[in-house]
Amino acid sequence: MRMFTAARPRTPVRTIRRVLSVVFWYAVLLLMAVVTVFPLLWIVLTSLKGPEDPIFSVPPQFLPTDPSLNSYGRVLDTLPVGSFFANSILVSVSVTILSTLICALAAFPLAKMRFRGRDPIFYLLLATLIVPVQLTYIPSFVLAVQVFHYYDTILALILPSVASAFNIFLLRQAFKSVPDELLDAARIDGASELRIWWSVLLPVVRPSLAAVGIFTFVVSWNDFLWPSLMLHTRENMTLPVGLAALQGLFSSDFRSIAAGVAMTVIPILIFFIAVQRQFVRGLAGAVKG
Amino acid sequence: MAIESRPLPPGRGRLWPGLRRMSPRLDPYLFLAPALLLVAIFVIYPIGTVIYYSFTDFDLITEPQWVGLENYTRLLDDPTFWKALTNSLIYLIATPTLIVLSIGLAIVVNRRLPGIGLFRALYYVPAVSGSIAIGISWRWLFDRNGFVNSILVSLGILDRPVQWLSEPDFVLPIAILLTVWAGVGYYAVIFLAGLQNVPEELYDAAEIDGANSLQKHWHVSIPALRPQITFVAIISSLAALKVFDEIYVLTNRTGGILDSGVTIVFYLWKQAFTLSNAGYASAIAMALLVITLAFSVGYVRVLERRFET
Repeated sequence: MRMFTAARPRTPVRTIRRVLSVVFWYAVLLLMAVVTVFPLLWIVLTSLKGPEDPIFSVPPQFLPTDPSLNSYGRVLDTLPVGSFFANSILVSVSVTILSTLICALAAFPLAKMRFRGRDPIFYLLLATLIVPVQLTYIPSFVLAVQVFHYYDTILALILPSVASAFNIFLLRQAFKSVPDELLDAARIDGASELRIWWSVLLPVVRPSLAAVGIFTFVVSWNDFLWPSLMLHTRENMTLPVGLAALQGLFSSDFRSIAAGVAMTVIPILIFFIAVQRQFVRGLAGAVKG
Repeated sequence: MAIESRPLPPGRGRLWPGLRRMSPRLDPYLFLAPALLLVAIFVIYPIGTVIYYSFTDFDLITEPQWVGLENYTRLLDDPTFWKALTNSLIYLIATPTLIVLSIGLAIVVNRRLPGIGLFRALYYVPAVSGSIAIGISWRWLFDRNGFVNSILVSLGILDRPVQWLSEPDFVLPIAILLTVWAGVGYYAVIFLAGLQNVPEELYDAAEIDGANSLQKHWHVSIPALRPQITFVAIISSLAALKVFDEIYVLTNRTGGILDSGVTIVFYLWKQAFTLSNAGYASAIAMALLVITLAFSVGYVRVLERRFET
């Protein structure tokens, strides 16, 4: 057979090898997917186990034989999960919009104007990227209680999170790639700088804005330490803070803790799947050399 | 119109040689003002204040009392601080582990297979689920009644369940494992983007030179990923130095038996917000700042050397 075919023959052996290699890579991918998703999957399965299902058994029991939503009911009866959601959405949406706008404003002159103090301001912002944010928590706590009086309110989570050096850098990079001619053309037409920013720059860098926005949203949604310091009343808590409270409340009832985790993770996963492509593109774009 | 499109009035250009365009001189500052104001209030002022607090006795409520270097001398004699410092440095093992594993993952998912997008999204799940949720799910895995015991006992590896998170030797390794597990998919996306910029011809050339697939990646992929490796090294080690959430959840806010899981930021939090020793906690914060700066300077040095050669 071989003698009659071309230099790279499609022999049965070769085909089998191909198939085997595809099967091999799917097996690897699947194994890694199981490792990645398993802890959360196990939580969801635990949350669905009814009173008759053992949560610990040898060997492990994967599927509930007596599935029930009782644990979800117990969590909802004890904790204002609806308020957690509403607060988390309010905080994350506000931070995302304000941060994207204010960082885009700041990124404009840093990318496209020449003025005194540009480099010092740029390096100052660069330096704030390195400083761990936890360093600021003690003074920020005092400010919140004694100066701004927003302890135990949502505002305490929004204001400190708005200015992000990371977002400014990302948007500065994006603005830099916009040709100056575009801005000059608008200037000739008599547009103000603010107008240029809004009507010329922002539309052009929309993918970067989306990436920054999604990024900010996810970070804000998952933020824990600072919100846990600021939020005291249950009705004011965000989801991560509420989850931590839940862990304390139901310490021996793991079905309920699991239900709480499932309730909070599933929505963010759905959101992530919906915006996945922009997110990945933005993350990848953040480190172009 | 055509004449006006030459935007530089000559006099202006001479006064400000760097000025290419006309822009009213106040504009840049107005654009920067909101962000800079917020940075001043929420970053710069607090850093200045925390330096001051570190020389005081302060309980977060009453006026700070100046005590000079007392907090710092106390720091030197505090075994828990040294434990926290050691733990935070041990935590840095996460960085090389993450780099190796996420490059590996990026190489694996950088092939055209139907449904690869779904897998890529799945590997990303831990990064978006939030540290508290995944921390609780890991606490549950390693619970006495958890899955790990269940499977190890069924396989006969253990005779009876172990309280993993109550064993001083296991708390920190489990937390590090959790950080690595949650981070691999996240950093792999960055490496994947880098890999996709590598020209196909480089791999072909390596193949012609007789390289096997491992050699191809070693000699082509890894050098091409240098910028991403630097980026991930910086980001992940700065993140490792300020680990808190994982420890908080895994040890149920205790820091673990014998402070086995206490990190710098956890100790800072504990001193400031559970024991009301905000002055002392500020001194811990200064230690964190010094370590972080040392690391950053180290990285800048490495980067500069790389650019020179």
